[in-house]
Amino acid sequence: MALVEIRGLSKRFRKGEETIFPVQDLDLDIEAGEFVSLMGPSGTGKSTLLNLISGIDKPDSGTIHVAGTEITKLSRGQLADWRANNLGYIFQTHNLVPVLSAYENIELPALLLRMTAAERRKRVELALEAVGLTDRAGHYPRQLSGGQEQRVGIARAIVSNPKVIVADEPTGSLDADTSQQIQVLLQRLNREFNMTMVMVTHDPEVAKLATRQLRMIGGRLRIEPSVADIHQNTF
Amino acid sequence: MFPFATYVFKSLWRHRARTLLTVSGAAIAIFAFCMVEAVQKGLERLTSDEDLKQTLIVFQENRFCPTSSRLPEDYARTISKIPGVRSVMPVQVWTNNCRASLDIIVFNGAPPDQLRAARDLKLLSGSWEQFQSIRDAAIVGQSVAMRRGLKVGSQFTIGEISVSVVGIFASSIPSEENLIFTSLAFLQLSRGMEAAGLVTQHEVFLNPGVNADAVASTIDAMLKSGPVATTTRSKGAFQTSTLSDLVDLIGFAHWLGYASVGLVLSLVATTMFMSVHDRMKEHAVLQVLGMRPWRVFRIVLAESMILCVLGGCIGTLVGLIVLHWGGLAIGAEGVTIAFRPSYYISSSSIAVSIAVGLIAGIVPAMQTASVEIVATLRDS
Repeated sequence: MALVEIRGLSKRFRKGEETIFPVQDLDLDIEAGEFVSLMGPSGTGKSTLLNLISGIDKPDSGTIHVAGTEITKLSRGQLADWRANNLGYIFQTHNLVPVLSAYENIELPALLLRMTAAERRKRVELALEAVGLTDRAGHYPRQLSGGQEQRVGIARAIVSNPKVIVADEPTGSLDADTSQQIQVLLQRLNREFNMTMVMVTHDPEVAKLATRQLRMIGGRLRIEPSVADIHQNTF
Repeated sequence: MFPFATYVFKSLWRHRARTLLTVSGAAIAIFAFCMVEAVQKGLERLTSDEDLKQTLIVFQENRFCPTSSRLPEDYARTISKIPGVRSVMPVQVWTNNCRASLDIIVFNGAPPDQLRAARDLKLLSGSWEQFQSIRDAAIVGQSVAMRRGLKVGSQFTIGEISVSVVGIFASSIPSEENLIFTSLAFLQLSRGMEAAGLVTQHEVFLNPGVNADAVASTIDAMLKSGPVATTTRSKGAFQTSTLSDLVDLIGFAHWLGYASVGLVLSLVATTMFMSVHDRMKEHAVLQVLGMRPWRVFRIVLAESMILCVLGGCIGTLVGLIVLHWGGLAIGAEGVTIAFRPSYYISSSSIAVSIAVGLIAGIVPAMQTASVEIVATLRDS
């Protein structure tokens, strides 16, 4: 069984007189350890799909199973617990809490889990080390660069050892150099720590980091050919 | 332990000017609430004590200000023969102001031996012996002493009365700490009093279980044919009647107390609305990270309660200090209401602060907890 199993997923919105279907009868399996990228033009439902997988939005029909739990059946409170235990979320704009230091921001999700203070400290230190910010632990978001802020955001997403990490355009607000650093970091987390990732991006270069690239058009998925496939068909 | 205490305190500190203004506003309002409660309690003590029902005050009929009541001193002998009467203490009263005043000075002249036996006075400094032996000696209630800076050895003069302070006393009845006691003879013979053989009132102490109203009627009936007719009432009723003008004002002040509480409520609620409105996205992010809506609710409520309780504690503390050290009292026609600190005032003020903190935080907390995560993240 796949780690993430989506069947017949649909979501619609009313926009004035018009009904929009950002996600339409969508099926998708994501295996543990996979790195999936979602690309596509604006308004085609990438972020909506990501929100549905994260349990912060509810579908109109269809099911989503993550590690055997049907999250579409959970209440708002149960979904919050589920996210605390199973999901890491990387935002485009970091969304760090400005009054908390990098350490305290990373610690936030861990505070929601049952663990000793020593264990929590160890996890935060490991997360800081994983993103290379051990020396910035006491810094506040305003004292960090955009890239460093995003790294704190990534550390916050991995601190509770989630089963799935979702990233909504994680390099979207960064300059080219910083974006490159974050790409390397995300790829390393996937390869070295075998973390399952689902990432929305507009950047084809960033999408190439993924082990599987998907394109969304009109609320449906299309599999992009991998570089290896292109080579095989050409030569 | 509340794991998000750091977040709560840092969030409040983020807008420290707003936080400090809200806390100081709450402190001022709770301080006002304390003062109003102190006046209320002072009045309640004066009018509803059980002991006051077994003590009668005999006053000249149709007279109100102590300066206008002049009863023969030897009425005491007649009254003491009435069945049920334990003892009678003639009292000469002098006050610098018959109207309502915040700095009223009231002298009570009474036979020193009787005074010592009848009143629950504890000398904090000075001696009873001097009070009994020196003609112009006076013992001063600690509230007046504090207000006027008097101590043993001081000479105190007001109007044409001049006394030597030989003792400072505390009393189990706070309003008595606003009195100055002298010997009866001294006050009767002071210049301007012209009251030899006359007193302002007789204080009648009854035996336990005696029907006070019946004795009062008997006294008035018995003295009706004497040189001066009397009106006799229980001490509580006498004080209520004497302070009737103030009672209405104090009743109105009670509403000011409630208004203060309303002020804190609207102040803290406004601050909380502003605070959660500024941080809608932040609270949505916390929910994305896995925080339950109920926990977000509690965090906002905690912030509201901290603002209120902190302000309430400061206001209560300042109120208690002022009440303790200020020796404040309001009086009219020789009767004073003491504003005293008490456990009741401090506990009710803190309880009000907690309740207001809860009420002020509920709606903003609900608003935050029920935020639409996706819409908030998209719109912010």
